[in-house]
Amino acid sequence: MTAQFRAVLYTQWKWSRIIVVLGTVGAFAIPLLSLQGAARADRGALQAQDLLRSVQSWGTLYPLLAATLGLLVAIAAWAADHRGRHIHALTLPLPRWRYVLLRFGAGFALLAAPIAAVLIGALLATVTATLPPGLQAYPLALALRFALAVFVAYAVFFAVSAGTARTAGIILAVIAALILVQVVASMANLDLNLLETLQAALVFGPGPLVVFTGRWMLVDV
Amino acid sequence: MCRVAPVLIAAALCATPLLAQDSVIQRMQRRADSLLRSWHEVERLADVADSLEHFRATAGSDTIAVGSLRIIANRSPLPLREAAARAWPAIDSLYGSVAADLAEHPYIFRAVDPDTNVRRDPLHVGLEVPWDLDVAATVSLLLRTVEAPRFDRALGDWLGTVLQPAAGSRADGGAVFLQLVTAPSTAVRNCFLGELARCEDVLQVRDTTGLLERWYATPAEREALVTGSFAYYFGRGGTAALLQRCRQHHDDACTDLLRSLSLGTVPRPLSAEARLLLLREALRAGGRDAYPRLVASPEAPIGVRLASASGMTLDSLVIRWRGSILAARPAPLAMPWWAGVAAMSWTAIFGACALRSSRWRL
Repeated sequence: MTAQFRAVLYTQWKWSRIIVVLGTVGAFAIPLLSLQGAARADRGALQAQDLLRSVQSWGTLYPLLAATLGLLVAIAAWAADHRGRHIHALTLPLPRWRYVLLRFGAGFALLAAPIAAVLIGALLATVTATLPPGLQAYPLALALRFALAVFVAYAVFFAVSAGTARTAGIILAVIAALILVQVVASMANLDLNLLETLQAALVFGPGPLVVFTGRWMLVDV
Repeated sequence: MCRVAPVLIAAALCATPLLAQDSVIQRMQRRADSLLRSWHEVERLADVADSLEHFRATAGSDTIAVGSLRIIANRSPLPLREAAARAWPAIDSLYGSVAADLAEHPYIFRAVDPDTNVRRDPLHVGLEVPWDLDVAATVSLLLRTVEAPRFDRALGDWLGTVLQPAAGSRADGGAVFLQLVTAPSTAVRNCFLGELARCEDVLQVRDTTGLLERWYATPAEREALVTGSFAYYFGRGGTAALLQRCRQHHDDACTDLLRSLSLGTVPRPLSAEARLLLLREALRAGGRDAYPRLVASPEAPIGVRLASASGMTLDSLVIRWRGSILAARPAPLAMPWWAGVAAMSWTAIFGACALRSSRWRL
């Protein structure tokens, strides 16, 4: 099993190494850039608000990077199988679920690099910065949140990529049906807002995308 | 006679403008008097109109009395009596014995159809309230619209907002905590760090002599204030050159411009919410008779009044206020624990969906 995992990991690394390396560099750079200028000890009272504003602005990049990494690594994991029309998988002496599990696990292993980069970058940025009194850095919480967002994004896109064209068609048909019903309801002046309900289900409560929402602050009160 | 005539003519010529000037002054005086008479007449008419409108607004209405609250309202399903019973303890506990004055200032409500398309006469006295409000909303309305009794102008000017009996929430303290940390003011930051005198400065409860310099303590702050908030005001006329020098980082110019402003026109380092919390703290500390003590001597300095209301020294009160603000520090990074569990669960669910995918692509 270990040898199989190593082989799958190696092939997936070859297919997605550019994505992983670029993502790791970006993940390392964002925390450092978000606290640029905070290292100056002569900052006056005027800059505390500017610092928070800057951290908040850069914070929008974390969920974006997490979603992009999850999408691209998931696509890369199945790209070769799609190109070979899944013949190679049929020739392997492995049950399908184990083959998928190996691919899934290899993707997680590769995504550990950008997650670690966020953690190291955030720790480095907070160690070198001089924060105004009252503000605190949260590198661990930020890295944990980034990890969760990457995992959710990867799992979603991995599941979609692993499916057949028929599955993708069904998903698209359901979305189209929802939009159609919404349009008809709007034309009929009915008090029905399916898209808003769907959005609320996705991003509020225990929805799958809740981890992406809210403020991503490396430094906060 | 020939010698006297030119003198008389000269005297007449000199006196003519004086006479003309005198007549202009008299004319203006008459106009002013006439305007004053008209003003008094208008005031009398306005009083009559107000009285008639008051009568019209309250005619055929019921009066509800709970404690010293008096509510005049037309008959409707609006739960005014229940709401007043709930609101009264909050009002009474805030204003203490002075709450009895509220009986002289009744609420006037007109319960109206919540359907905004229904046509109705304009109301000039009292408030229109949709009759479908529930008890909680009606209580909130009573608490929001109660007029603080004997609330003098000096107190209002200092506070900068209204004093309502709504219980101070933790969120208020959190907002002030954010200001203490992020306000672009060294004085505020030093208050946050525990300098009591700076807290008293930014709360405006001490001697106001030289307060502007203490509020805007550094050259950078003075320059930011003058070139930011007052650039348009100082940008014309005799102050334009000073403003230009201030923009070139000459602190003497910025300070001169700042000193030419009156205290009331300069933005205060802390918002009204901070002062409101201090006032509430004083009233809470002073017990039931705190509010009567607060409004007892409107001519006294605000620091003395607050100390009198709270029954403690001003320093102790400010320490208490600072402690409550620090205790209300907002929760950082608002991702709850369950969001992490949800994310892991969704990862597992989508992973399981992938595991169930078919190997056959036919």
